[in-house]
Amino acid sequence: MKKATAFSQNNMNDFLIKIGGEAGLGIMTTGLALGKYFARQGYEVFGYVEYPSLIRGGHNTYEVRVSTEKIHSSKWKVDFLICLNRETFEKHKGRLAKGAVVFYDPEEFEVKENFAKVEVPVKNFLKEGGDSILFSNSIYLGAVIGYLGGDLEDVKKLLVDFFEKKGKEVVEKNFEYAKRGFKVGSSKFEILNSKQILNPKSEILNKSGGKLVMTGNEGFSLSAVAADCRFYAAYPMTPSSSVLSTLAAWQKDTGMIVRHAEDEIGVINEALGASFAGVRSAVGTSGGGFALMVETLSYAGVAEIPIVVLLAQRPGPATGMPTWTEQGDLLFAINAGHGEFMKIVLAPGDIEEMLELVPEAFNLADIYQTPVIVISDKFLSESFISVEKTKVEKILDSIEIDRGKLITADQVKDKYLRYKVTEDGISPRLLPGEPGYFYQANSYEHLEDSHTTEEAAPRVEQVNKRNRKIETYLQNHFRLPKVYGDLKKAKYVVVGWGSTKGPALDALEKLDNFAYVHFTHIWPLDREKVKKLLEPAKDKLVLLENNSFGQFGSIIEGLGFSFVKKILKYDGRPFYAEEIVESLKSLL
Amino acid sequence: MSSIQEFSGYTPTWCPGCGDWSIGVAIKSAFVQLGFNPSSVFVVFGIGCSGNMNDFLNAYAMHALHGRGIANAIGIKLANHKFPVVCVLGDGDCYGEGGNHFVHACRGNFDITVIVHDNRVYGLTTGQVSPTSEKGKKSKSTPQGIIEEPFKALEVAIVQGASFVAQGFAGDVPHLISLIKQAVEHKGFSLLNVLQPCVTFDKVNTYNYYRERVFKLKEDFPTPDKKKAIELVLRSREEERYPLGVIYKVSRPTYSEQLPQLEKKTLVERERIGNLSRLLEVFE
Repeated sequence: MKKATAFSQNNMNDFLIKIGGEAGLGIMTTGLALGKYFARQGYEVFGYVEYPSLIRGGHNTYEVRVSTEKIHSSKWKVDFLICLNRETFEKHKGRLAKGAVVFYDPEEFEVKENFAKVEVPVKNFLKEGGDSILFSNSIYLGAVIGYLGGDLEDVKKLLVDFFEKKGKEVVEKNFEYAKRGFKVGSSKFEILNSKQILNPKSEILNKSGGKLVMTGNEGFSLSAVAADCRFYAAYPMTPSSSVLSTLAAWQKDTGMIVRHAEDEIGVINEALGASFAGVRSAVGTSGGGFALMVETLSYAGVAEIPIVVLLAQRPGPATGMPTWTEQGDLLFAINAGHGEFMKIVLAPGDIEEMLELVPEAFNLADIYQTPVIVISDKFLSESFISVEKTKVEKILDSIEIDRGKLITADQVKDKYLRYKVTEDGISPRLLPGEPGYFYQANSYEHLEDSHTTEEAAPRVEQVNKRNRKIETYLQNHFRLPKVYGDLKKAKYVVVGWGSTKGPALDALEKLDNFAYVHFTHIWPLDREKVKKLLEPAKDKLVLLENNSFGQFGSIIEGLGFSFVKKILKYDGRPFYAEEIVESLKSLL
Repeated sequence: MSSIQEFSGYTPTWCPGCGDWSIGVAIKSAFVQLGFNPSSVFVVFGIGCSGNMNDFLNAYAMHALHGRGIANAIGIKLANHKFPVVCVLGDGDCYGEGGNHFVHACRGNFDITVIVHDNRVYGLTTGQVSPTSEKGKKSKSTPQGIIEEPFKALEVAIVQGASFVAQGFAGDVPHLISLIKQAVEHKGFSLLNVLQPCVTFDKVNTYNYYRERVFKLKEDFPTPDKKKAIELVLRSREEERYPLGVIYKVSRPTYSEQLPQLEKKTLVERERIGNLSRLLEVFE
């Protein structure tokens, strides 16, 4: 059969399934289900979701890349396109790979083009069962897994995991429909060249010992718990909201207090109150909510109260494009807050860095008694990726809690001074409630003993004290960017930060002799160390950023460097490795 | 037992005759009578003349941003619910800048006490109108008279779910001490609105103005009946009279009491959780 021949041309070691349909039809569930299905078989997966800012109607898609090798992002060419409606086909047919297969219901629309096709009579099945279109996603889930030679029992396990909470009947019904789809798919499978097909429960699984499928936001949530964060407050805002729901769902197990407060100003002030009282606290938001929190960041800065802020960026200005991605808030984050105070900005680029940097953020907040911003974006926060379970466990096990100069009453010598002037700029912190003492977390400028002051000398003394923390940080905790490749030998050196890491690393693999410099410790920046690092590559730097200003680039330019090219993207979509490759090749 | 001296910090910088003096003394006296000492009570101060009490009253304190004190207080209470948490705010701070936090804190019935210095004026910024200024009041920011109706804090608090709503007068310190004690001892969100003349920027709402119009509530109060409480407040407003005492009081579970996380220990006391393997299961 022609379709099957066409399919067998594709590289089954690395393929992309894309499913699309009207919002509200379970595209999200199916995308994650596909990701989990293949991760459970031992494959590496990456899932990227697109959806508009509404609940019903509109167009939702999930693309799930499956590979036998380590992958860091999605890929451009679609190998299997599952179309719940005509729009999916029309919008994405331009991305279909040679030999791609289209899954669709001929009763829904016709595919005239010459693609390999799997016709799934979804409407017919639903009519027979007397059920609504809400089950069509399960039919297609079965169909694509059947087509790829998958296992029906594994599909069932998956559906149990997803729908158990909704009751046995829901599981059964979804499975019945998945089974019908599976039959359609697997009938095509039989005629394929089996060597090209998935090898269920493959050797790679045995090697890796199990994988987890996790989004950046889930990574934040998990590592916040591991870092002993006990208070999390938020106001729902895409793309940060799933941290709120994840941590809220875990409250029973973790004992964390998770507050959905009245607005972002209430959110951060509650968190700051909890932190003042002694518990590790965090908040999560996106640009608009962060804007509301900014005054309070300044309070945390002067009163020297630790706080961790997750800033999951989306395209602005204002309401912008709420469900899309951008790295447009970097300079805002660095400069957030009136007045001058120390602030740390950390930017994880992938799930592993998220798991590592979040506990570090909590430590740094405690050590420097100041706000730490973990900056993410929709692409990192909401995309899922497979990660070896043992690796996650290892990261979590290695987390050490460092609360800095937190002292108890017996460590107080003479008089306790909350804002004691010290050489490293950090004053010992006694938690409120210790008998025999008292002090204020003062939003006014203050004396060492925390009383308000407007006098010149103590003002300067306190500013200098707080500023010295920056030097202390640079000496003790600043980390240089990670370098992939050889800066001296490379033809060009790509400079980036945050979620562009994935596509950049995938692009590097397709290129000969390029290097990539990935910044995680964005602010404060050790100018001299960075200058020294980039010096050998000064004539061949290329900037990669998901914004239009080249914001991080402007910081690097401030060090005296210039870029031979700026690869900038600000259409709300993440980079694909293919477009980075193309852009870099144009330099050669 | 502690003493007023223990609670006394710097000498206040308030204008001579300002109601803040009496409220300050009343708070300290109430704390002493409640058996507190400066290490056993958490106070959140707002920004304004009232908030300047931060340096005059010794306690573990946050001197908050303008308007945000209640949110800080909620966070403190949730982190360490065994300590009493008292907010010292002004009418502009609590009902204006912080209005959203105020109405939502009532809903949550957080076990905190909010003492509002209601002087109907922005004193620290030299006399502009406040949310509680009477309609038509002329000020630097409203030279032709304020158009808005005054904010009805007592009614709002009752309707929004505060479980203790009272009003005091800076001209009657013994009564105010008793109200502060009751407010702090009440389990749940307590609002104590304190009528207080601004001797510098308000020549209308003077001590004499209030003395002629305040009245102490009789045996029918406090009531757990919202309707009755609101009727009293509305009728008093129409008559330009001011009830003093606990107007509304009801027993309702506090926010902390409804959190299973806090059943055994406070958030700050409890142990760090060790095993995360259960959380990892959902990602398999």
